[in-house]
Formats: sequence, structure tokens, C-alpha cells
Amino acid sequence: MRDKPLETKLRLLTLQLESWKRLHDFITYGLDKAKPIISAEQERQFTEVRAYLLQETEFVFTELSVLKDLSGKAMNVLQRACSIRSIRDLGNDEIRRLEMDWNGIFTKLGVLQGQLKGQRKQLAALSAWAYYYQRFVGRPVPAAS
Amino acid sequence: METRLLILNGDPVFQDWALSIFDLIPGVENRIVRTLSDAVATLLRENFDAFILEGEAAVAVEQATHVRQHFPSLKIVCLVPERVEGELAARAAQQNLQIIMTAGSRGRLERELGKIVQAMERPAGSASEGIDPCHSLIGNLNQFSAAEILQMSCLGQRSGRFTFKSGRGNSEIYLQQGAVRHAVFDEIEGEAAVAEVFRWRQGRFYFEEGIISQVQTVDRPWAHLLIDNLQRLDETLELVTGERRHEG
Repeated sequence: MRDKPLETKLRLLTLQLESWKRLHDFITYGLDKAKPIISAEQERQFTEVRAYLLQETEFVFTELSVLKDLSGKAMNVLQRACSIRSIRDLGNDEIRRLEMDWNGIFTKLGVLQGQLKGQRKQLAALSAWAYYYQRFVGRPVPAAS
Repeated sequence: METRLLILNGDPVFQDWALSIFDLIPGVENRIVRTLSDAVATLLRENFDAFILEGEAAVAVEQATHVRQHFPSLKIVCLVPERVEGELAARAAQQNLQIIMTAGSRGRLERELGKIVQAMERPAGSASEGIDPCHSLIGNLNQFSAAEILQMSCLGQRSGRFTFKSGRGNSEIYLQQGAVRHAVFDEIEGEAAVAEVFRWRQGRFYFEEGIISQVQTVDRPWAHLLIDNLQRLDETLELVTGERRHEG
């Protein structure tokens, strides 16, 4: 069976991870000195990904109960990386901090995604009756635990 | 086998009315994209059972019409907030787009979406055929594209039947004296079926010499078909890059 809150969390998490991966692709491109050209189109796409993250991060982190852990890091990354061009101009220390913060977010979300997928797998093996019975008798069920 | 849906939703975090229903349908794997260009790029890379668009009726039908030009056999469903009538409804019918209204009760929408998924459920694919001595040419589409294989056979003035097998289904193209005479894929026949096979990048094919079709659904020379289809493929790729330029 499928659990609605669990499926919603997984969907939000997948979308969020996708946006953070795309942001990282742009950061990597910006830091790659061998790729000197930054087009207006790339900047536009970068701003689009950043806009998704700015409006969705807080809501998604709250839904996933990781707001306290990740909110600060996310804001650091999104404020420092305001354009691909600005990333290229960052100093070494700032780049290191940017990468550390991005990595902190990505690692936490990745682990969480694995945990939720694990819960979904366990839940898939339960029948609806067994699920509600276990909840009724107070035993922990995968999605509710 | 899971039913794979590609869903285009510009705001999947906050406007997730239909997404939350798809989440709960068993046996469904969803892939969500936010822009048309991402959708086309994803459709070119992977196979999906259906493409679902969510949004205002006029925009959704417009986007679906674009996609229909490039993916003639794909099942396309538009989820729109209001009833579609008049010219827009006629256009949707002409392009073979299914329209579902999202306004109203959740139960009704759940039933409607459930029906769509149920209609697409199919049994697990049968094992691929082995090598048959009748097959004079056998290969993989990831090594040779359909265009290359057909070009070679048409230049050689071959007559026979090509069978292409991929995750999307099976297609047959009949050649006669180096010209395409008949093509069929699912319910599509003629040039549209040839266009479909041109986009396949994965799958297997084999050629059986001497099998001629009695039916003729293609009457243009091979060179014209090749140029048209390659041009259309370019347009599809342009939709991926061009759309990104125009958005915003």
C-alpha cells in the first residue's frame, strides 16, 4: 500500500534534490576556468533554478522537518551564488564555504531520501489491513514512525 | 510492469492537486518536469506511457499540440481547471488530446485519473525473439539509427519487411524496390509511423527479405521522407533549446 504523507514527502524531496543538483551544475560550470563563456541564457536558467529554490526551500524543509538543520546553509548558498558570473569572482575561502554548505544540504537530503524510500519499500509489503491494524494497536508502522 | 508518466507542471510544489492523486495510484512511476523544453528533452531520452500536462486550458492545449507534432503516437492528457469548449475543444480532438477537468470533487478526479492509468497498464513484455535464419539483417538501434538502416536498404533497392522493437512497441516498415511502401506502428500508419521510428534510439530491428505489403500507405520517395523526418527531428531538438530561449 501507499502512504499519502510519505509519497508527498518523497515527491517534494525529489524535486528539491533535482533543483539543488541543477544549481550545482551551474556552480561547477562557473568555477571551471576552462569554460570562459557564460551566456545570458545560462544566467537565465541559473536564475530560474535559484528562484525555484528560494520560493520552495522553506516550505519543503518544513514538510520534511529539516528546516532548523538546513535553512541557514541553504540561504548561505543562495545568497552567495547570485549569478554564475558572481560565483566565478568568489575568493577561495568563499568557494570552499559555498561547496561545504551545498554538500551539507545535498548529503542530508540524499540520506533522507534513502530513508523514505526504505519506508516506502517496507510499506509496500504491508496490506492495507495490516497497516491500519498495526497503527490501531500502537505498533510502529514504516511511514508513521 | 510500472506505468511511466511524464508530468509537466510549472509549480509542482504548491499546485500539486493532481500530483498528489498520481502519487497514490499503485504501479505508477511519475517523472515531473517544470517546462516544455525539459519535457521534450526527457521524452527524447526516455520512454513514457503518457504525457500529462497541467495548466490553463489554452496554454496546455497549445503545448500539447507542439508535443503532438513531434511524438505522434504518445498518449497526451491535458488537466485543465475549466471546461474546454468551442475551437479549443475541436483542436484538442483533432490532435487526439484527452482533456480532463480538474475542478470539482477529488473523488471524481481520482476516478478519472485512475481510469487513464488502468487503460495504459500492459503485461510485461515478452522475451525478444532469437536469431531467425529468415532475418537477413539484425541489429540494435543504439548502434545504427533507423534512418541509417533504411537509407542503406533503400539505396540497395531492397524489398522486404523491417521490424523495429522497442519499449514503445513494435513497428513494421515495408520496402519495395528501395522505396517505403507501407509503415505501421500501433494504430498509426503511413508517414507518421515512419516519423515515430526515426526518433527511437533504443531497441532492436531485423529485416526479412521478400515480404511485400499489399497495402500502400506511403507514396513519397525515400529521399523526401528522409529529409522531412530529419528536419522534423531538428525541429524537436530546437524545441528543447528554443523554448528555453523564449521562456522568461
